[in-house]
Amino acid sequence: MGQFPQLNQEDVDHVDALLRELLERSEASLALLVEKAGYLIHEAGGTGQVDTTTFATLGSNAYNAVQFMASLVGESNFASMYQQGENFSTLMLNVDENSLLVLVFPTHVTVGSMKYFAAPAARALNERIQIAAARDGALSLDLSDLDATNVQSLFQRKE
Amino acid sequence: MAIINQATKELQVKIVYYGPAKSGKTTNLEQVHANVQVPNQDAKGKLTSLATSSDRTLFFDFFPLEAVAIKGFKTKFALFTVPGQVIYNATRQIVLRGVDGIVFVADSRYEKMEENIETFQHLQDNLKSLNINFEDIPCVMQYNKRDLPDVAPVEYLEYVLNNRETQMPSFEAAASKTEGVFETLNMITRMLLNKFLNDGVRK
Repeated sequence: MGQFPQLNQEDVDHVDALLRELLERSEASLALLVEKAGYLIHEAGGTGQVDTTTFATLGSNAYNAVQFMASLVGESNFASMYQQGENFSTLMLNVDENSLLVLVFPTHVTVGSMKYFAAPAARALNERIQIAAARDGALSLDLSDLDATNVQSLFQRKE
Repeated sequence: MAIINQATKELQVKIVYYGPAKSGKTTNLEQVHANVQVPNQDAKGKLTSLATSSDRTLFFDFFPLEAVAIKGFKTKFALFTVPGQVIYNATRQIVLRGVDGIVFVADSRYEKMEENIETFQHLQDNLKSLNINFEDIPCVMQYNKRDLPDVAPVEYLEYVLNNRETQMPSFEAAASKTEGVFETLNMITRMLLNKFLNDGVRK
C-alpha cells in the first residue's frame, strides 16, 4: 500500500480548481478530497455547517468498511458508494488506492448525473496525485534541527 | 502514515488506542477531550463516537487535536479508538489503516489477563495483514484501572505484555480519574515526533 504524496501549493491550487469546477457543473454543495486513513486533504463548497474533518473521517472509514464487505463476497472492483438522503445525499468515489472524492449534493440532483460529472473529476484528481507522487521525496519535512525538549509535553491538562 | 501538506503547512498524524473490551480506550479519549488545554476551541474537534445503544464502541471513537506549530507546521493528531470486542476484529483492521502510533490500553485486573494477551496478539496480526511491521510503529503500553481491586502488579504486567528486547514505555493509569492519561498521550506524541526527527516524515 503506497502513501498519499505531499502536495505543494501548485497541486492544491489545481485540486481546488478541479473541485470548484465540479461543484459548479454538478450542483453538488460540498466536495472533499479525503485520504483513506481518514485525513481531509482539501475541501470546496459547503456552508461551514458541516464539520468536514469528522465528515471526512467517517466517510473514509465507511468506504473502507464497505470495500472490505465487498471483498468478502469476492468483489474486487469497488469504485463508489452512495448514501441516499431526504435532503442531501452523499457519493464517494475512489480516486486511487489512497484517496477518495466525497460529494454532498441536494436530492433533486440524481446520482447518475452526479456520477457523470464526478467520474472525470476523480480521474483528473488521480492524474494530479500521480504528478505529486512522482515528485515526492524531494519535499520531505526536515525536522533535524527541531529541539526535541520543546515537544516533550505537547498536551497539558487544564488546571 | 503521516500526511504532510506543504501548501497548508500541516502535518497530520494518526494515533490509535487499542486494547481489549472495556479496558478504557474510549475513557482515555473522553478524558483528553474534556481536560486538554487548548489555545483556542478550533484546536480541539468534536469527539465522535460510533457506539451501540449500550455505549460499547461499534466502529471507532475519533477526535482531532491540534498541537503547537512545529517548524511552522500545524501538527494535527487524529485520535482513534477501536472496538474492543473480538467480533469486531475486521473493524479494528479498518481503523488501523494509516496508523502512525499506538497506545495499547491493558486492563490491569488478573481476570482480564488472557484478554489482554489475546488482543495484543490480534494487534500484531492486524498490523501484519496491513503490511505494517509492529516494531516500526511507536507504541506505548498503558496499564489502566489501577484504582480497582485485584489488579496485577506492574512487574507482572510488564512480564506478560512487555517482555521484549526493546520494551515499550509503559504507564499506570486510572483513566476514569484522568490519572496517567496525559502522560500516555504525551509519550506517544513525543515518540512520534522523535521518529520523524530520526527518520524524516518521508523517506
